Amino acid sequence: MKPCYLGIDIGSISTKGVILDENNEIIRSLYIWTEGNPIEAVRNLLDGLKNDLPDCYEIKGIGTTGSARKLIGLMVDANIVKNEITAHAIGTLSTYPDVHTILEIGGQDSKIILLENGIITDYSMNTLCAAGTGSFLSSQAKRLGIPIEEFGSMALESQNPVKIAARCTVFAESDLIHKAQLGYEKKDIVAGLCKSIVLNYLNNVGKGKKIKGPIVFQGGVSKNKGVVKYFEEVLGEKVIVDANSHLMGAIGIAILAHNNAVGKTYQLNIRDISFETKGMECNRCSNHCELLKIYKDQKLIDSWGSKCGKF
Amino acid sequence: MDKIRIGIPRSIHYYYYGDLWIKFFKKLDCDVIISPKTNREIMEKGIQYANDEMCLSMKNLLGHISYLQGKCDYIIIPRIDNYGVENQTCTNFLAIYDIVNNMFSQDILSYNIDVAHHQTEEKGFLEMGRKLGFTKKEIQRAYRDAKTFVQNKKQALIRKNLEKLNSEKEKVLLIGHPYNMYDDYIGRPIISFLEKLNVEVIYSDLFYSSITGPISKQLSKELYWKFNKESIGAIPVVQNKVDGIIFLSTFPCGPDSLVNELVMRKIHLPYINLILDDVDGRAGFETRLESFVDIMQERKRKHV
Repeated sequence: MKPCYLGIDIGSISTKGVILDENNEIIRSLYIWTEGNPIEAVRNLLDGLKNDLPDCYEIKGIGTTGSARKLIGLMVDANIVKNEITAHAIGTLSTYPDVHTILEIGGQDSKIILLENGIITDYSMNTLCAAGTGSFLSSQAKRLGIPIEEFGSMALESQNPVKIAARCTVFAESDLIHKAQLGYEKKDIVAGLCKSIVLNYLNNVGKGKKIKGPIVFQGGVSKNKGVVKYFEEVLGEKVIVDANSHLMGAIGIAILAHNNAVGKTYQLNIRDISFETKGMECNRCSNHCELLKIYKDQKLIDSWGSKCGKF
Repeated sequence: MDKIRIGIPRSIHYYYYGDLWIKFFKKLDCDVIISPKTNREIMEKGIQYANDEMCLSMKNLLGHISYLQGKCDYIIIPRIDNYGVENQTCTNFLAIYDIVNNMFSQDILSYNIDVAHHQTEEKGFLEMGRKLGFTKKEIQRAYRDAKTFVQNKKQALIRKNLEKLNSEKEKVLLIGHPYNMYDDYIGRPIISFLEKLNVEVIYSDLFYSSITGPISKQLSKELYWKFNKESIGAIPVVQNKVDGIIFLSTFPCGPDSLVNELVMRKIHLPYINLILDDVDGRAGFETRLESFVDIMQERKRKHV
C-alpha cells in the first residue's frame, strides 16, 4: 500500500479536495459547490474522491482549511487544521518556489500574501466589505443574465470598459444599472465590472503593499480571464494563473497534513457516521453567547462560541 | 448618615483612574459601586443610547452608565482636555461629561483636567471632594495615599511587562488604548486567543511614559495626542525584542485611524491592524491572528 494525503479546503462558495502522493503530486482532485451546507458538501466530496481512488493507496493524513475548517476538521478527524493564508502560501510555493506576491480572490474573502525567500512576510485580508469578491461578481452576473463561466471571455471582447465605482458593492451596483439603462453594451459593462474588481482589490486589500513579480493569482475569480487581463494592465506585470489555481489551498493543506502525519490510517466512510450541529443561545449569564454544539454519532464532541470558555 | 454611593463605570476612564478613584473614595469612607465587566447586554444598551458617529468604546461607556443609573448617588465622569500643551486627548474625553449629562437624569460627579491652563488632577480632586462636603485636609490625605498606591502598582505592572521581553515565546507588542485592550468584551478575547496560541503579549500602555512620550518623535514629530504618542513610543523601545506588532482599535477611532496608519508605513516588523466593530463574529480575527502567528514563527525559524 502506498501512502497518500488528503487536503480539504471548504470555502463559502466551493469545496475543494485533493489527494497527493508521497511526492506531493496530485492523484485525484475534486471541486464542488458548498451550497451553504459544508457538512453535506464534504460528504459528497469524499464520496467522489473515494470512488476513483486506486486501491493501492491508503490515506495517512488529512488536513482542513477554509472558513469551515474547524467544523470539518472535527468531522473527518483531521491531523491538521490550518488557516487559509498559510495553506495557500504553502500550496503555491510547491509549484512556484520563487513567488513574491499571491493575489487571492475567493467567494467572500479576498487576500494578498507577500513572500520573501519562500516565507510569508506580510498579508492582508478584506475587512467587512464584500466589494471585490467572487460573490459580488456572481450576483452581478445573475443580474445581467450571463452565466458566470462566460463572464471573463465576454469582458475580453470589450474595447471600452465602462467606469464603475470601485468603492462599494452597493454603489457599484447602482452605477451598473445606470450604465445599462443609458444603453451601454453588455460586454462593456461586464468588462467595467471586471476592472472595478481589480481596482477595488488594489485599493482595499492591496493598499500600501509592494506588489512585486512573480505574481500568482488564485481563488475562484482567477478563472475569470477578464479580471486577469485587468490585473496585468493595472499592475504592468505578468500575472500567473496556474491550471490548479482553484486548488492551491487544498494542495497546501494536504502538504501540511503530509508533513504532520501521525502514522494513523484514515477511512473515508463518513457517510455511515451521523454528524449534527445544534445552535442555541446560552442563558447562563448576560452575554447570551450563541453556542454551537457538535454531535458525532449522537455524542457531544465539541461546542463553540462561548466567551467564558465553560463549554 | 448613609454613606455616599459613587458609581464608577468600568469603561474608558476606569482603565486610567479606576484604582485611584476606588482608593480615594474608600479613604473618604464612601461606598464605591463599579459596573460589571462588559457583557453583551451592556454593549447593546450602549449601542441604543449612542449616536451613529460614536466609537465602539464610547458606546461601551454609555452602556456602563445606563447600568449604574439609579444604583448610586453620583456617577463619576471627568472632563479631560489636555495634559499640557502638545499633550491633548481625543475630543470625546472632553465631551463625555456633557454628553452624559444631557442623556441621563443622574447626578454626575466631575472634575476638569486642563493642565495647559493650570487645572491639574490634584485641583480637580479637591473640587470634587469639596462638592461631597469633605475638608481640604481630608481630601489631600486621601488623594496622596491613593496616588502613592496607584503609582506603586503601576511600577510593578510596568516591570512585569518589561520582563516579558526576555521570554522565549513569540512576543507581540499590542498597541491599543487600555480601555480597549483590557475590556472583557473588546480586547480580552483577543488577548486570550493569543495566549492560547502561546504568544507573549506585551502591552503598549505599560511602559515608562517619560521614555515612550519623547521617543515617539522618531516615528512622528507632529503628534499631539498624549495616549497615542505614548503607545507608539513603545515601538522604538522594543523594536529588536519583539516578533510582531498588533494594532488594536475600535471603529471609528479618529486618532488611531491617523496615527496607526502613519506608523505602519515606518516599521520593519510583521504587523496587523485589527479594527473592532460591534459585529459579534470571532472567525474573522481568529483567522487573522492564526496566520499572523504562523508568519512570526516561520520568520524566526528561518532567521530573516
